[in-house]
Amino acid sequence: MKHNLSVFLLTVLFFAAGSFPGCLVLNIACAEAPAMSDGQGVVGDGRWVMGNGKSMDYALAKAPSAGADATVRGEEALPGRADDAFQDEYKDDENQDYDDEPFAEERVTIADPIEPFNRAMHRFNDRLYFWLLKPVARGYKAVVPEPARISVKNFYYHLLFPIRFVNCLLQADLTGAGSEAGRFAINTVWGIGGLLDPSSNRGIELQKQNTDFGQTLGLYGVGHGFYIVWPFLGPSSPRDSVDIAGEYVLDPLSYFTPWYTSLGKRPFKMINNASLSLGDYEAVIEAAIDPYIAIRNGYIQYRMKEVQTRRARSLFFRNWKSEATRAPAN
Amino acid sequence: MENRILKKRLAGCMLVMMLLMSVPAYAGAPMSAVESTVNRVLDVLRDPKMKGPAAKSLKTEKLRVIYKDMFDEMEFSRRTLTRNWNKFTPEQRREFVDLFEQVLEKTYLDRILEYSNEKIVFYKESMIADDKAEIQSRVITSSKEVPIYYRMILKNGKWKVYDVVVENVSLVQNYRTQFNEILAGGTPEQLLETLRKKVKTH
Repeated sequence: MKHNLSVFLLTVLFFAAGSFPGCLVLNIACAEAPAMSDGQGVVGDGRWVMGNGKSMDYALAKAPSAGADATVRGEEALPGRADDAFQDEYKDDENQDYDDEPFAEERVTIADPIEPFNRAMHRFNDRLYFWLLKPVARGYKAVVPEPARISVKNFYYHLLFPIRFVNCLLQADLTGAGSEAGRFAINTVWGIGGLLDPSSNRGIELQKQNTDFGQTLGLYGVGHGFYIVWPFLGPSSPRDSVDIAGEYVLDPLSYFTPWYTSLGKRPFKMINNASLSLGDYEAVIEAAIDPYIAIRNGYIQYRMKEVQTRRARSLFFRNWKSEATRAPAN
Repeated sequence: MENRILKKRLAGCMLVMMLLMSVPAYAGAPMSAVESTVNRVLDVLRDPKMKGPAAKSLKTEKLRVIYKDMFDEMEFSRRTLTRNWNKFTPEQRREFVDLFEQVLEKTYLDRILEYSNEKIVFYKESMIADDKAEIQSRVITSSKEVPIYYRMILKNGKWKVYDVVVENVSLVQNYRTQFNEILAGGTPEQLLETLRKKVKTH
């Protein structure tokens, strides 16, 4: 019995080893070795060859012979890729093909009549992040352990329950409203006033409903209007800015405390949330060729998809297509 | 006696586990393609032999091999440029594809190397056409969940990624808007210059 078990285990291990990274390490080491000895240009060359999804053996055979003349990556060392792909003109009738046909409805644009103002605000927010928010959030992160910061985030999220609940109702999403009400009750009682989030745990799994007024208006068919970047708050539109007011009216704290405490609350919330997502904004900025346009487009795509997802959940608006969501002529 | 029953149960459990583990194999080809690549990446990142800053360049080199196998950079470039592709000479196109790839590599590699045991779940595959599919996955960190969708195309019998949708934002669409704006008022050479600078400054 014991023997059988160990044979079985060995077999399992053997198969698992087939996909073990160690094998990969070996392969790459073989392919790399000759290339390295031949100097800079060849390393680049070997890298390119392997990148084409050709077998490692190919790289091994090719790298030494490529020699010193292959200082520029490319030309004859591009076996995997049809070289004429570069020659291929982009034809207008293949437009359909590159229109992301299956995903065509998602393409969105937004008017940006106040671009100079927006770009200035974008720069302001960018500097605010790098000069102030990021250093402070880093210090805060070093002092406060992660579970505590997550609890703070949960708490602020919990407080805005009225906004999510009301908007679920306005969107005719009764399951969503029920889910939010359940989350609020459970997290208040068992989550110590919203510091923990037991509702998301296995067994209960009540989904967060990230609803807001801008979304609800979008569901009703109201368009963005135009793009606007608020100082401190970031990308928005006249439609989505309704939430600035909504958050004040429906945030319970704004009733119990004088108005100026919410001014103090927001930076802390910003710092806390930033401490949990350091690096996210940097990645967006670094990947972008024009960060302003990258963020604008990202915001529009993100909001568009949110409205679509919420609409699919709605009892009334499910089969209703607004002007805004029909594939726009771009 | 009791020991024996226990062992039998253990063997039974292992059999069930084996069966469960083989379930992803039933998912379609695109899903298993992207899943196995991501697992290869995770294997490199988790490799205990490659800890510390010294191993960083080795890791980078290995990851490069993996993702070049995963992405169709030509498809990605053409889709972001669309009609603007024709304004480029073949040489400029070659340079564009190369530079664009380096920009992406620089940004996302650094992010990937920061990886610290986040959970990645692949949960849905939708075939959009015979040669196109979307794979939905979720990256679960301690404080949030990030949905990541891979859009794939079948070329020469191989499924390759041509667009990544992070939190509902399609990268191809995002770059297309940027390139459109830049090329509306500028020449391909100017765009290439911007890219060259971007690659150099990092």
